[in-house]
Amino acid sequence: MGVGRRDPAPAGRALTDAAVTAPTARPGRRRLGSAVSAYGAFLPAVLLLGGFFLVPLGIIVVYSFWQVIDYNVVHHWTLDNYRYFFSVGAYVTTMWKTLLVSLVATAIALGLAFPFAYWLSRYVPRRLRVPLLILVVVPFWTSYLLRVYSWLTILGEKGVINRFLQWLGITHHPLGVFLYDRPAVILVLVYLYFPFAALTLYSSIERFDWDQLRAAMDLGATPLRAIRRILVPQIRPGIVTAVIFVFIPILGEYLTPQIVGGTGGVMIGNLVVNFFQAAEYTRGAAVSLLIAAFILLLLVVFRRSLSAPEAYGG
Amino acid sequence: MAVTATPASRASGAESRGAGIELRGVTKRYGGNLALREIDVTIEDGEFFCLLGPSGCGKTTTLNLIGGFVEPSEGTIWLRGKRIDTLPPHKRPVNTVFQSYALFPHMSVRDNVAFGLKMDRVDRAETRRRVDEALALVGLEEFGSRSPAQLSGGQQQRVAVARALVKQPAVLLLDEPLGALDLKLRQRLQVELSEIHREVGTTFVYVTHDQEEAMSMADRIAVMNHGRIEQLGTPFEIYRRPASRFVADFIGDANFLDVRVDGDVAVLADGTRVPCRRGDVPGPGSLMVRPEALRVGDPEAAPNGALRGRVLQSSFLGTRLRVAVATPSSDAPLIIALHGEDPASAPAEDAEVAVWWASGDAILLPPDER
Repeated sequence: MGVGRRDPAPAGRALTDAAVTAPTARPGRRRLGSAVSAYGAFLPAVLLLGGFFLVPLGIIVVYSFWQVIDYNVVHHWTLDNYRYFFSVGAYVTTMWKTLLVSLVATAIALGLAFPFAYWLSRYVPRRLRVPLLILVVVPFWTSYLLRVYSWLTILGEKGVINRFLQWLGITHHPLGVFLYDRPAVILVLVYLYFPFAALTLYSSIERFDWDQLRAAMDLGATPLRAIRRILVPQIRPGIVTAVIFVFIPILGEYLTPQIVGGTGGVMIGNLVVNFFQAAEYTRGAAVSLLIAAFILLLLVVFRRSLSAPEAYGG
Repeated sequence: MAVTATPASRASGAESRGAGIELRGVTKRYGGNLALREIDVTIEDGEFFCLLGPSGCGKTTTLNLIGGFVEPSEGTIWLRGKRIDTLPPHKRPVNTVFQSYALFPHMSVRDNVAFGLKMDRVDRAETRRRVDEALALVGLEEFGSRSPAQLSGGQQQRVAVARALVKQPAVLLLDEPLGALDLKLRQRLQVELSEIHREVGTTFVYVTHDQEEAMSMADRIAVMNHGRIEQLGTPFEIYRRPASRFVADFIGDANFLDVRVDGDVAVLADGTRVPCRRGDVPGPGSLMVRPEALRVGDPEAAPNGALRGRVLQSSFLGTRLRVAVATPSSDAPLIIALHGEDPASAPAEDAEVAVWWASGDAILLPPDER
């Protein structure tokens, strides 16, 4: 059979020889065996992915085309859930408002993150960079809920801002305008997602060779033209990645609007929650799927920027 | 691209002599640190000029001043009779080849080379013609559509040179461009750069810390140390007639003996009197002799005034035989280079030998000023 050799070869070579001179009998069994050993390591991941992601996703997809009658899910195929969603004016408005809030929050977060990342990679000495980056990341060690709630103590009627204004004498009674509306939602979202944008942009800008700007100016470009033609094209993948990392999660946000949004700051995620709490499972599933489909569309459109070499090494 | 003179420079009366580049009294301070001290130097139009020195000597600062990336703290810079130190880099007819090449990775080789022409709004047909010329000059005609990442280090370097030369600048600045390449490639590119220089006739200002590189390519070398030019001259002048101990030590190998001068004779530390060229260095100084100027041999057959010593080590280095001899006349061993000698006939280690030299080969240098 030739599984091993008879001559006294050293251990290493014997191993290679064994691999080369595989048993010739029963090839089918051998192929199955090697396939199992090669791919078997994937089994836990497959189970995890399948059980906790694909199955629930499948359920949502299927539910969105069924109906709820008298609080029970009925396996009756229909597009009624989608029709219902688009028939209610308030729902459609919420959908557009969510898009608006997401775009504005993303724009502000990136608008703050870019100067920060630029400053960090160009002007901060290397040894101070890691501590600063850690400071950016530290809030993630706190619970998300706490971080959102803490804004109530800043923006609320008894919060820091109001007390400060009253102390200064600018106002004489607390203003409720800082909280429970869309601006508050945007503010808190920017706060929550700034680190994603900052870290992504930093890693993109940090790789940039500043000598190239000098070279561009040496060749006759004004500083502005140099930035436009040399810096921006090279960090564009990083910018797109940052946008994706911020915009997509914000689309699905519901806790922040729920806590600081009041009635004016309702986002589409809240609708989903409301549907499910009212046992309108199929309608909730339909709205969830709408969000997911939109996100999928975005990912397909921007798929080139999601390749790691493009985003971080290009 | 012409540099327009401002009325002020015309009226100032301090007209330059129409030379290539002139630095007049240029000083550069970074905070409390004096990087350049009152540099006065004239670089002739069309010459291959080298700034040579160790790290921190100010050579790169000088290059950056000519290029416009820094402004002088004091002094002025002139190019072909017009003052340029007030102009930003993109307005000077000067282009730079950077140490890191600084090619634009998101553009093809052609687009990289064409970038400068694009900034000058040269039309398409002319751009294409000149880019073709530049690529042919550096031997990369076939590489136009590649991206920089697909090129080797030497090829990237050539693209950087093409990109800088396509604008036909008055001056080409090169900032240690061959530092990242291995020896053989470096030597080949040195020859190519010299050829390119002959072909285009542009003034080259080349910064390096490698004295062999400077010697092989430059028409003239400025040896710099601590923000000053210690000596300016042709490679021959600098090697054979170094002006200071630093220059003698930096270029090639050198032996130094501390001496006191007494007329035509130099007196060593242990009292031995040796011949030397009559110099104008009074008092103590350093006697410098190149390793290849030293002779070594049997003490019996040595001329008067030879030094006695013991062979420490004898190494065959291919091109020469290096013999280290310890003598009481000097702290450091004397290094002797023998050419064309059969290693077998070289002095044996531990042998007692005599070392001497022709009086014209020893140069008296002032002691280092600190």
